[in-house]
This record gives sequence, structure tokens and C-alpha cells, in this order.
Amino acid sequence: MNLSLLGPELVLIGLGLALLLADLVVPPDRRRYLGGAAAVLALALALYVLRGPGLAGEPAYAFGDRFVVDGLSGFFKAIFLTAGAVVLVLAVDWAHSQQQAVTEYFVLILFALAGMMLAASANDFTVMYVALELVTVTFYVLTSYQRNRVASLEAGVKYLILGALSSAFLVYGIALCYGASGTMHFREIAAKSAELADHRLFQLGMLMVFGGLAFKVALFPFQVWAPDVYEGSPAPTTAFLAIGSKGAGVVLLVRLFGNVAPELALKWEPLLMGVAGISILYGSLCAIPQRSLKRLLGYSSIANGGFVLIGIATASKAGSAAVLFYLAGYLFTVLAAFLVISMVVQRLETDDISALSGLHHRAPLLAAALALAMISLAGVPPLAGFFGKFLVLKALVDQGASFPAWYALAGVAIVGVVISFWYYFGVVRAMYWPESNGDLTTLPVPPLIQVALAVCVAGILALGLFPGTVWDAAVAAVAGLRL
Amino acid sequence: MHVGLEHYLLVSAALFALGLLGVILRRNLLVLYMGLELMLNAANLALVAFSRFQNNIQGQVMVFFIITVAAAEVSVGLALIVALYRKRQTAHVEDLTSLKF
Repeated sequence: MNLSLLGPELVLIGLGLALLLADLVVPPDRRRYLGGAAAVLALALALYVLRGPGLAGEPAYAFGDRFVVDGLSGFFKAIFLTAGAVVLVLAVDWAHSQQQAVTEYFVLILFALAGMMLAASANDFTVMYVALELVTVTFYVLTSYQRNRVASLEAGVKYLILGALSSAFLVYGIALCYGASGTMHFREIAAKSAELADHRLFQLGMLMVFGGLAFKVALFPFQVWAPDVYEGSPAPTTAFLAIGSKGAGVVLLVRLFGNVAPELALKWEPLLMGVAGISILYGSLCAIPQRSLKRLLGYSSIANGGFVLIGIATASKAGSAAVLFYLAGYLFTVLAAFLVISMVVQRLETDDISALSGLHHRAPLLAAALALAMISLAGVPPLAGFFGKFLVLKALVDQGASFPAWYALAGVAIVGVVISFWYYFGVVRAMYWPESNGDLTTLPVPPLIQVALAVCVAGILALGLFPGTVWDAAVAAVAGLRL
Repeated sequence: MHVGLEHYLLVSAALFALGLLGVILRRNLLVLYMGLELMLNAANLALVAFSRFQNNIQGQVMVFFIITVAAAEVSVGLALIVALYRKRQTAHVEDLTSLKF
């Protein structure tokens, strides 16, 4: 057993417990700095993971091979830790305006982060389940954290009921997979996946597991929670849901369909294609009439989940690498958007799009960052979002020769992109072409948020202008998949 | 009568379906939550049955984890429902209407 492989997770959990203790001795007005310390540590861990064991060489295992550190887990852990650091910075600023206890909020973010990292390394159904539940149960509290706001409580209860429903499906699916294969271990299932792919019980089990994970990624039949929960939750929670919780679902989908049962991914191509296509259209069409920024990003998150699923559905290494690149781009884009939204919601106390009017006079930095994030989400070159969509669609069209329906899916995806231009540019228009000249006082932007925004903007530009480094890392990360 | 694996699985599937029906049809949050617990226990029964008939301990280990996690989930869930009740004086799904477009 090699405990050192769990280093980053253990450090995070230890830090969480230490913060809870420190909360007892630190005076209330200084408690926000605890979150800052946690953010710095998360960033340091991200750098450690990027040079850590397993990322470049052979996969390393712990706990009877039930915990794996390989390229795939390393790539996702770097994404999760970066997201965690930025979300903590956002939470420190958000905590400023809260009357209630804030340390617990930082601690819950750290625990959710540890759950995501364990999910990235899960090599066994039991580990996968416990890691996912660690993420889900902490998010029940994170979404409903503002106990005195009805919207926040409602978002929490909706997430609770639908989250518990999806984990019931996940658990029953795991039970059926276990019944069919006789093992919980991913490697042992992978060894007989060719026969299992034709086993009815295993297919039903994997379908239910897929449902449980599709909830996390907000894919079509399991997407109903996303807009409500995105709108009602505190902004840092929404940001973490959009990238972290989604990422945990994606890494498990990639591992299950790329490494554990690739034969099933091939068999289910029509199903996965259908879910991806409907998610893209549903997310794009429903986003058009939205007036709340957070709700708009909730629908946009459904559409983006669809794009991610396209990459997984192609059942090719190029597709999986495109998924990784897509998420890396989505990380910076969505975090930049939520940094700005959180500022706007706190200062103006509304997240209606019309509140953005004149933002480029009041806070040019915020307006520029939000505009860049929206343009990147829409998929305009040369930004991160463009290359993500381009690589996914390229992998899709490359598969078209073997299965012509892929071309139809590519068409649906492009229609989705065109529709999304409408509402993404609606946000940009609201900022730069104000209909009324209302309040034009300057909005102050704290230095810490400026730094975080600069990092996100740099990420969006770097992934768009120089995609090579991250693309090479993504290709190396999926090299171990059995596709 | 000999009780075989299929009997256990039938009971488990029936429990799962009952729980799902409860979640879909009932309107009280607490009753709805009981339906969810029933679904989890259906999975537990299936796991234990598979484990017993395959002479393989992994399924029972999983059941322990499910029970533990479900306990954590219930405590958070009930706390949330109580907090909502205090704020809104209701535990009915139809009354959760402040988030709509």
C-alpha cells in the first residue's frame, strides 16, 4: 500500500479539519483569511499534482489497486485544484458580505474538492460511490448555505431530492453490475468487458450508473435541477458546481467508457449521441429567454455537458483528449464569468442581465472579463472555448466514416453553437450598449479578485492562442485508455 | 419452497419501484425522502443477495458504505427540510416556487 499517492487528498482533508479548529481561536473579522490560506494551498497542490507521480510515467496504484494515480486522474486533479483555489478566493470575497459563520463554507469547499480528487482516482465501484457522495452531500450544504434566503434553501432542497434520486439509481446500477460481473473492481470488470457488454444485467446496471453520472454532468433527462440550483445557490457554490461537480462526473464517464467497458461505449453510440444532441439543443434553446445570469449559465452548462458527451461518445482517444481540453478551457471561462457575476450580485443585489447596463463605465475590468468569457463560451476563435468545440467536433467528424449518423450530430452541435451566439452576445450587448443611462458610479474590485480574474483571462487567451501544451498533456493523459 | 437469488432480486426490484413511485407521486418532502431511502435499501438487498449467492464479500462491504453514506445524507437532508420549514412553514413540493423563469 502506497499512502503517499493519496498525499494531496490527505492534505486537503487535514487542512479542512485544521481550519475548523483554527476557527475557534481566530477572531471573527480575521476568519476570511483562513479561506485565503486554503486557496494558496490548493494552488500549491495543483502545481504538485502537475509534476507528481503517475502523470508522465506508468500508473501507480494503492489500496489493492482500488485507487489509481495515472495521467487521467492527474489532469483532472489539476483542473479541480485550480477551480478550488479560484472558488476559495471568490468565497473569501463573498464571505465579506455574509452575517453568518464563514469558515465552515471554506471547509466544505475543501471536502468537496477532496471528494472530486478521489473520484478522479477511483478504480473501484465502492471508491467511486463514496467519492461521489462526498461531493454530493457537501454540495447539499453548499447550495443551501444562505439559510436566511428562501431561494438558497429551495435550491438546496431541489438538489437534495434530485441528487438523492440519482444516487439511488447509481447504487442500484452498481448492484446490478456487481451481480453480472461478480466484482466491484474496475480492472477485473475490464478484463471481461467483452463478454459483459452483451450481458443484459450488466447493460442495465451500466445504464443506471450512466444515469447517476449524467446527473452530475447535467445531461438531458437528468438536467432539471441545473437552472434552479444554479440560480438559487450562492455564486461561489454555483461556480464550483459548474466546473468541479461536472468534472467529477466527466472523469468517471471517461474512465468507465474509455477504460472499463469500451465495448459498451461502441454499442451505445446511438444512445450517447441522442443524449448529447438533445442536451445541446435543450440547453441552447431554453437559455434564450432567460433574464437571470446564473440561470442562463445553468442552461449553458447543460449545452456544454452535451459537447463533453460527444467527445466521450466517439469512443476514440482523440475524442477523450478533446473532452479533457474542453474542460480545461471551460474551467477558466466559467470561473471568469462567475467571478464577475459574484461581484455584480453582491454590489447590485440582482443577477438580472439588465443590471449589467453600463458596466463598462462602472467597472471596465469586470465588463471586459465577462465579455471575453461569453465570447469564449460562444466559441469564437481564437479563444479557449473555440478550440474545445473545434477539437470535439473534429473527433466526431473523424468517426463519421464508420457511422454516418455522426455527421447529423455534428450538424446538431453546430446549430446549438449558432443559437448560443444569440444569448451569449445578449449579455455582451447589455454591458456595452446600455439602453438607459442609470447609475454610473464606479464599482470597486478587490485586488484579490483582480488577480483571480487576470489568471482566468490569461487561461482563456493562452488556451486559445497556444493550445499546444494543454493539448499534448490531454493526449498524454488519455494514452492509457483502452480505446 | 427453495428461496433462490431470483426471489431476492424480485423483492429488491419491487422495493426500488415502490420507492421510485413514492418519489414521483407523493408531494410531502418527508414522505418523498422515505421513498428515496427505500430505493437505497432495495439496492442494499440486491447487493447482499448477489454477495451471498456468489460467495464474494465485496457486495457486503459496499452495503456498509451505503448505510454509512445514507445516514450522513439523511442527517443533512432532514436538517435542510427543517430549515426550509422554518422559513416557509411548508414541506410540500408544490410550494417550492420561488425559482422559476
